[in-house]
Amino acid sequence: MLEIKDLHVEVEGEGIEILKGVNLTVNKGEIHAIMGPNGSGKSTLAKIVAGHPEYEVSKGDIMYNGESILEMDPDERAHAGVFLAFQYPVEVPGVTNNTLLRESYNTIAASRGREELDPLEFDDYLRDKLELVDMNPDFLERSVNAGFSGGEKKRNEIFQMAVLEPTLSLLDETDSGLDIDALRIVADGINKLHGEDDAVVLITHYQRLLNYIVPDHVHVMIGGKIVKSGGKELAIELEEKGYDWLETHATVNGEAK
Amino acid sequence: MALATRIEPSILHKLAKYAPESENSVWADLRAKSLKELNSTAFPHRKIEEWIFTDLRPIVRTDFVPLEEAGTFPATDIEKYFIPESDRSRLVFINGKFHEKYSSIGGLGKGVTVGNLADHSDEEEVQKYLNNLVNYEDDVFVQYNALMFEDGAYIHLEKGAKAEAPIQVLNLYTDAKNPFVATPRMLVVSEEESDVTIIEDHIGLGENRYMTIPVCEVKVKESAHIHHVRIQRDSIDAIHVSRPIAYVEKNSEYHSYTITLGAKLTRNEPRVIQEDEEVDFTLDGLVLIDGEQIADTHSVMDHRFSHADSHQLHKVVVNGKAHSIFNGKIFVRRDAQKIDSFQENRNLLLSDDGLVNTKPQLEIFADDVLCSHGATIGQLDPEEVFYLQSRGMTEEKAKEVLTYAFALETIENVKVESVHKLLIDEVYRYTKANSESKVTV
Repeated sequence: MLEIKDLHVEVEGEGIEILKGVNLTVNKGEIHAIMGPNGSGKSTLAKIVAGHPEYEVSKGDIMYNGESILEMDPDERAHAGVFLAFQYPVEVPGVTNNTLLRESYNTIAASRGREELDPLEFDDYLRDKLELVDMNPDFLERSVNAGFSGGEKKRNEIFQMAVLEPTLSLLDETDSGLDIDALRIVADGINKLHGEDDAVVLITHYQRLLNYIVPDHVHVMIGGKIVKSGGKELAIELEEKGYDWLETHATVNGEAK
Repeated sequence: MALATRIEPSILHKLAKYAPESENSVWADLRAKSLKELNSTAFPHRKIEEWIFTDLRPIVRTDFVPLEEAGTFPATDIEKYFIPESDRSRLVFINGKFHEKYSSIGGLGKGVTVGNLADHSDEEEVQKYLNNLVNYEDDVFVQYNALMFEDGAYIHLEKGAKAEAPIQVLNLYTDAKNPFVATPRMLVVSEEESDVTIIEDHIGLGENRYMTIPVCEVKVKESAHIHHVRIQRDSIDAIHVSRPIAYVEKNSEYHSYTITLGAKLTRNEPRVIQEDEEVDFTLDGLVLIDGEQIADTHSVMDHRFSHADSHQLHKVVVNGKAHSIFNGKIFVRRDAQKIDSFQENRNLLLSDDGLVNTKPQLEIFADDVLCSHGATIGQLDPEEVFYLQSRGMTEEKAKEVLTYAFALETIENVKVESVHKLLIDEVYRYTKANSESKVTV
């Protein structure tokens, strides 16, 4: 489904390389976790797949369902089924959640050749999804993320994911800022949404989230590269040993910084 | 050496000879005094601090003619501008002249007088306040208005009177062969504990050049409340120079919302003067401009006594080659303690060629006050645009939604339903037109 090949990425106009040759293959039905210390480039990887205009691909390619998506705008990628849950969801005062979601749902539905929903049908559709992340219907009439707590914003991202039904979900530190109850709710929601036809990429600092969502593959990213991949047991190893042993490993291979 | 300074006559000085004759002595005295003042006051220019950013060429280079010689076309289809809530509380002026047949003033209940100033010139309040509340020094526009106006809106509320419906003061300007000058006038006196909502609307029916110089005086007496919405939808080539001033007495509230959409050149100078303690006032503005429009707001909030809450949110969206100017003066006089004043000017620049000048100006002479202010000029946040795009919206749609959301905040407090809706539609039309113009470029 997603195939990232030797991806090199710079900040637009600054010439600083953030990703230095990332290779990653995600098949449908899989859950991948990308872990790593701050500044390792894992959030950048998620944003670049979603099409953030701030970054420039200097080398390599991103294939999605067999085609390169580098030339696609973020909205076209969303139409194709890519979803990014933001690390810092943006506040949009003046636009209600309901308005945003209906607008999004219908444009995505139209581009996939599905039926658009009228406001009443859409309302019913939303109610079911709300339960999934245990959110109060009042949320719908509030401005998108405006005045939301950190935890509410993260839950709102997963709610949007539930509504938009993406095929590839990139969840950027969705666990940060969540207390243990909220973490469980969010993790349950993600587990329920995940099926054999879609894939999930979790980006996280900590192993904590992976107690609730069990990944098929774990990757460690340091200094703009994936330095180690393994099964779910790798996450536990990281929890015990930290990242230092891998950073040394990266240096030995002559690739640090 | 008692040589009088010679004044370079402007178009307003030249048109002064067409001032109407007056049969009543109050009007005649006012005219004589105004003519004298006008003849000794120079037209402003950009070397004066207060006018440094404002391009006055649209006024200076236009050969305005007296209204009678303008060749005006009739006003048609004007009912669509009537707001339903004011079905029986509406005054209509066309090019500054009162039109009784379109007006309707029966629905306001006891103690509320609404009508044409010319029909109320004998009243004590009119004689006491008319032209005595305007404190614009050496201002040719106020002088010209005082010299020329014949009709005007008069709103008076007796003690304790509550207007049962919002009052719409509808100022229409017709298409014409030649550019003319209109001088709408308004006097509002709200006695103790009274309450009224006023919708002041300026609408250009054509796309022609004209100049309107509305002067509005408001007296809010003890414990009275006024909600004043001012909508400027002048023709795209018009010039709008307005002077609305309000005096707020003890325990009173005055909340004003000015929405600027039309006109080639707008110079709006709203002022609120505090006359006693415990007052609460608002002077909000929303400016949506495009093309080559110039919109200039010079406001004054004058705190002269202790215990005032004052609030000013001035939001501006600039597209095309439009130019916005904001100068917000907040005065807190000595001994005016415990003032809580807030001013925020936020400017959204949608184009590379737009221009914004902003100058918050706080002059505080008391020491126990809370005055906060902020001014920002920015483009749409790329992170917000990306967020909406990642949810499936096109870049154009995302920008449209964000612009709409930016503008909407200032009109949230407009409490007349149909006007609130009308303003939402205007904001929507502005943002929609912008995103479309970008798509085609």
